[in-house]
Amino acid sequence: MSTPATLLPALPPTGRSVRAYFAPVDRIHRVPTLFDPSVNGRFATSAPPAPWIDLGWIEDFTRKSTSKFGELVTGSPGTTQFQVRETVDATVSLRFKAWSKLSMALAAGSQHMNLIVPAAGGAPNGSGCKGVPAVNLTAGSTATFLAMAPSDAAGFAAGSLVSVDVDYVGQTGFVGSAVYAACVSSAGAVNNDPDYIRRVSFNVARVASSSSTGLQLAQPLIAGVPSATMRVQPISGFVDREGGSFFQEWSALFVVDGQQGERVLYHYPRLQSMAGPAEASTALAPPLERIALSAMFRALPVTDVNDGEQVVCFRTFLPSPATLI
Amino acid sequence: MQNAKDTFYITLRSRLATLNPSRTMSLRAVTRPGILVSEAEAPMAQPLLDAFALSWTGLQADVQLPAILAQMTCEIHYATAGTETNAGLDRGRALEEMDYEVLQLLYPYSAQKMNYTQNPAVAMETMVFWSEPEFGPLVTLRDRLSRAVKVTVFAFQEQGEQ
Repeated sequence: MSTPATLLPALPPTGRSVRAYFAPVDRIHRVPTLFDPSVNGRFATSAPPAPWIDLGWIEDFTRKSTSKFGELVTGSPGTTQFQVRETVDATVSLRFKAWSKLSMALAAGSQHMNLIVPAAGGAPNGSGCKGVPAVNLTAGSTATFLAMAPSDAAGFAAGSLVSVDVDYVGQTGFVGSAVYAACVSSAGAVNNDPDYIRRVSFNVARVASSSSTGLQLAQPLIAGVPSATMRVQPISGFVDREGGSFFQEWSALFVVDGQQGERVLYHYPRLQSMAGPAEASTALAPPLERIALSAMFRALPVTDVNDGEQVVCFRTFLPSPATLI
Repeated sequence: MQNAKDTFYITLRSRLATLNPSRTMSLRAVTRPGILVSEAEAPMAQPLLDAFALSWTGLQADVQLPAILAQMTCEIHYATAGTETNAGLDRGRALEEMDYEVLQLLYPYSAQKMNYTQNPAVAMETMVFWSEPEFGPLVTLRDRLSRAVKVTVFAFQEQGEQ
């Protein structure tokens, strides 16, 4: 594209909608996934750079600065001489149009559970009872293929859902492969259940086909190639709860593409959920409604290494090639 | 979207054949269930009596979803003059019968989307679903009573679908 002979003055961005991307945070070391707009600012919206996960177009995106400012007043009559930033705080709210493991977990705020296919005779429980036994993986598994014994593979039909993660063996603290899905205070709190990590894990997928050598997945596992200690359990869906002690924390990126080629990006390196599960309905043709997941987050700080400042959000503007700046 | 329109029509036609096998029409020398798609037939000066005619009118698409959600308006038109046996004096009853048939044809409000361009037809991945019927006012024209019912049909556009 050549530069126009006469550039227009700066124009107001005109966007249609906001697209959301989320990436895991290393909760133990408090290391978020940082998005560098100078490197990847112009990425294709349908192909975000790794490890960002595309959650599609969202609606009702609202961000609020709730930072507080104080003033130093001197003289008579009093005149503000200086300002100080007393607190740095911000919130983000939005609605996810599509329901998935990740969007549901983000909107739920707390632990988000996989409904493990129940074992016979399990005692009824709101988030699912004791599940059928997990099966072992064999050598040769990849992010999209789970190698297992023929007798084990025969237990999974095409179209079924699986959770793939390690056994719970008494760990405390954050658990879950690739994504910290829960924080265990003690083995007793989770009944020392070997399935507990698979119950909360984000390492889930749908089975595309089953053969005597294993399961071909319809989508890659978020944790990549499974480790030898991971095991597989069938799940039937997801469940979240009002309550719980865990806070989901994710890095977030929101993108608005303007109509003249400009782009606005909002990057929150650390967003923690600050609301329980809720939905919002949009009428299609009454009584048909489209149900969206409502989500609300508080932004937590990171240090900008360029100047050592503690900040909670980065707003980037990439101007249209047709305008002056 | 054509697959969704075909699915909606074939679903209603199959249901009608079960619900009221005697409601048939003769069109192009073929006797078949009394329901047709107007855009797939030759133009008619007068609508067929005692049959349902589907017309596709409005179209909207929500493109800001992982799969495009098409929202199509289908108007179901029908008219009757009653029966000759009763000199048309039963036209009110005949229309009421068709009103009730519409309610029954539309329920349940969904069907597996099918690709009828292949033989045999192939089941697709998603469901076609539709709103509850919105009945228009009864229209009287000489000895004929007619009505139009509006239904909004929804379908997700699948990958590779035309």
